[in-house]
Amino acid sequence: MDIVRLQNLKNQAISNILESKSEKDLEQIRIEYLGRHGEITQLISKLPSLKPEKRKDFGLLLNETKKTIEEAIKNQSAILHHRSLGKDEGWFDITLPGLKPPQGHLHLITYAIEEITNIFEKIGFNCIAYPEVEWDWYAFEGLNMPKNHPARDEWETFFIKDLSHPKYGEAVLTPQTSSGQLREMERVGQPPIRMLNIAKCHRRQIDTSHAPMFYQFEGLVIDKNVNITHLKGTLDYFVKQYFGPKKESRIRPFHFQFTEPSFEVDVTCVVCGGRGCKVCKQGWMELGGAGMVHPQVLKNGGIDPTKYTGFAFGWGVERVLMMKYKIDDIRLLFGSDLRFLQQF
Amino acid sequence: MNIKIPDSWLKEHLKTKATAKQIGEYLSLCSQSVEKITKVDHDWLYDIEITTNRPDCLSIYGIARELAVILPRFGITAKLNLLLINHQSLAIDHPLPLEVKITKPSLCPRFTALIFDNVVVKSSPKIVQERLEKAGIRAINNVVDISNYLMLGLGQPMHTFDYDKIKKAKMILRESAGGEKLTTLDGQVRPLPDGTIIIEDGEGRIIDLCGIMGGDNSQVDKKTKRVLLFVQTYGPFRIRQTCQKLAFRTDAASRFEKGVDPEGVMTAMERAIEMFEENCGAKIASNLIDIYPNPPKPKTIKLDLKLVDKIMGIEIPQKEVISILESLGFSIIHSPLSIINCCVPHWRHEDISLPEDLIEEIARIYGYHNLPSNLPPTIVLQQPKNNIFNWEEKTKEALKFWGFTETINYSMVSEQLLKNWEIKPEDCLKIANPLTDEWIYMRTSLVLSLLEVVNNNKKSKAKIFEISNVYLPQNHDQLPEENLMLTGLIIDENFGCLKGIVEALLEEMGINNYQINPYQLQKTFYGKIFHPTRRAEVIIDKAPLGIFGEIKKPLLLKLGIKEKIFVFDLDFKELVKYATTEKKYFPIPKYPPIIEDLSFVIPAKTYVGKIMEMIKTVNPTIKSVDLIDSYEQTRTFRITYQDLNKTLTNKEVEKIREKIIKGLKDKLKVQLKS
Repeated sequence: MDIVRLQNLKNQAISNILESKSEKDLEQIRIEYLGRHGEITQLISKLPSLKPEKRKDFGLLLNETKKTIEEAIKNQSAILHHRSLGKDEGWFDITLPGLKPPQGHLHLITYAIEEITNIFEKIGFNCIAYPEVEWDWYAFEGLNMPKNHPARDEWETFFIKDLSHPKYGEAVLTPQTSSGQLREMERVGQPPIRMLNIAKCHRRQIDTSHAPMFYQFEGLVIDKNVNITHLKGTLDYFVKQYFGPKKESRIRPFHFQFTEPSFEVDVTCVVCGGRGCKVCKQGWMELGGAGMVHPQVLKNGGIDPTKYTGFAFGWGVERVLMMKYKIDDIRLLFGSDLRFLQQF
Repeated sequence: MNIKIPDSWLKEHLKTKATAKQIGEYLSLCSQSVEKITKVDHDWLYDIEITTNRPDCLSIYGIARELAVILPRFGITAKLNLLLINHQSLAIDHPLPLEVKITKPSLCPRFTALIFDNVVVKSSPKIVQERLEKAGIRAINNVVDISNYLMLGLGQPMHTFDYDKIKKAKMILRESAGGEKLTTLDGQVRPLPDGTIIIEDGEGRIIDLCGIMGGDNSQVDKKTKRVLLFVQTYGPFRIRQTCQKLAFRTDAASRFEKGVDPEGVMTAMERAIEMFEENCGAKIASNLIDIYPNPPKPKTIKLDLKLVDKIMGIEIPQKEVISILESLGFSIIHSPLSIINCCVPHWRHEDISLPEDLIEEIARIYGYHNLPSNLPPTIVLQQPKNNIFNWEEKTKEALKFWGFTETINYSMVSEQLLKNWEIKPEDCLKIANPLTDEWIYMRTSLVLSLLEVVNNNKKSKAKIFEISNVYLPQNHDQLPEENLMLTGLIIDENFGCLKGIVEALLEEMGINNYQINPYQLQKTFYGKIFHPTRRAEVIIDKAPLGIFGEIKKPLLLKLGIKEKIFVFDLDFKELVKYATTEKKYFPIPKYPPIIEDLSFVIPAKTYVGKIMEMIKTVNPTIKSVDLIDSYEQTRTFRITYQDLNKTLTNKEVEKIREKIIKGLKDKLKVQLKS
């Protein structure tokens, strides 16, 4: 075998490839040269019998020839395929429905909680969950609401039958996430605290905007030198992240037994954008409550109010979500009607 | 509590040119929230929510007093028309008698009463009627209207009796005891809880449910000539307790239970006298009775101005602090240091007691809207490593992409639902004051809620899940264990699909060291609701962490569900303890595997899992065993042999294969199919 013959073999192969008219011809040619008994294959198998000084050069050339033929076959295959289009394979129904992977649905509340959590985690809040069935002390008394206090009227509370603690009082279903405040102070012991408690709450009421079960979240920040401007900053940050950069927040005086001063938090109405409409109050939508943690509550949580100050805020998850999706009955969220749940 | 205030009435106490819109906005920003402003005739009506700590704002005068401080801060002049006490002498000749005995001073901190003669009962002047009606109270007659008018105007509830209906002109104010009854003037017979403040007359008849509603037997009627006017304050807790026990509340009671200022009593009494004389043609017929044994002592609070700055986050000049507090009626004793002494005005006596309370006053009048916004300083807190919320989020996402729909169901369930699913109500926490029969017990399993979803939706195919707490009762002085469960339900698939989901979930959570065993217990909740053999439990570290299987057909048929229902119920909180996101790297094998299929004939009731486990443990070169075909008693397995260090020869594989075949034959009577 000499180099000239190999050159001829290559040329012949290439010309055969270029003249081939179908995929079938092409496959025939491939077998002829590169198949198990093909000419090139046979030459390769004879390589070891060559003298070492010839073996290297010839081997390289042979390998290059093989690659050239393989390339030519691929190219020709593409050309043939391209030609065959435009005949009968040219038409295809792309309007046939696709075969989708299974599509599930998460609850709107889950989406909202994930969004809220992400926003607060970015500024260093720690997510935590505290008991939903809780002692009176954590839900009321320790938050500065002794028994029979009129402030308790705000929270229509469910009580648990035959369950009470000699020190902490009766068991209730927590009517607000503020019950997590003392728990967090006890857990952490020494501030700083940056808590985000998202939990199920229960109140004894039902209508289109109140369900006996709902979700609330509560932020609690305790540290040295925490003041009202920090609360304002945190609320502003949240409102812009959650509702959009054009939305404003404001705080107004309010009253809670466990904060002093106490505020109500408003946000630019999501429906009218602040012009004023049926669902809002003069362009503002009420979001929830907030305040500077009452010194007595800090004391109850084992934290020295002369050293530390803090703020807390919290509100329901559903209210905002209902506004956003224009859902007019909160009970839809917990009714588990699949026709509703599978829209999201 | 909300009150309605007509603008025209407000302007009687407040001289200002502020518009209704301005009043609404600025009052909301600095004091009480104006929820609505509506136009009524040629007047505006403010609907204002008054917080429980501010009973001093539960009147027209109270709101005017706030506005007189707030409006000037926004550049609008406003002046309060002060109500002053004349201290006129009421001594008259031949006064009508009234003997009063109060058994306990704490029941009634201040008791004032006065008798009028020559009263002509008729309609009130038009302006009184109109104002009452705008504020939401029905006008009745000139006598009763006076008490309502002054309650709205000044925040002081009062009551009027027909003097001639009080036997022996004698009153004993005492606590009720031993289950007494009174017919109140709305005609209702009210059983009186022990400890209720009441008044009995000289013949032992109960004539007043104090602070809440008068008795039917002593009320003013058309024939009344002589009226006894009552202006008092009562112990707030007593009033509140009675209202709660009776589930009955009046406007007067709502004010008394929050606390009425005893120093305001005489102002109200003097206005009442004027109105009686003008509206009823009445004449004073007795001496003024004023029983006021313990007037509250003036309260002084020390305020460190550094604390004001610390909480407000900005520096407020001392001059401004003092001017704000003085405008609110505090008297300030100056001091050269940063500490000032503030004397609380009598109408804020109950509400203000801490330096923080004063700071709230300063900050709200200064205006929260005038404070800057700052994020709290950044700190890095150690976050718990295996965060349950992250796993919850991840798991929900996975289930969503496997076609599941998430549901959130009420944590409270009915007795019927528990019984339908074989749970004893006494094993659940019970709500002492349920709202309806539908929500009485705290659920101990999510399975019943999901089955209820199936029942309500009537779907023949669906995949649903819920991640929520269940509540497992402990001792009577211990909170329940709240267990976060992950429960899923599939309608109309097969056991394999269900098991596949559970296995994929565990894999997604990085849990590999689990076992799946048949569930044996019969008497448990699971034992009762799952098919006796089509159920299995997930075991990790010897602990059962969940169950999955098919729900018993007869239970479903009873509810009219015809489809097959498959359920998994996993203890999510426990699972997370074993979860990990860590992955392990294995080098990609350099030597090719040998793959072969072997078919076996197996005896009846042989677990395939056991066979596969046995094959796998024969030799470490067996990398995987897959079941690729099942037909009658034949099972075909695809076995992959691979050695990391060399190419396996046919001879080596043959040896291993023989060991597999022999082992299966000896231990499980499984025969190779030739």
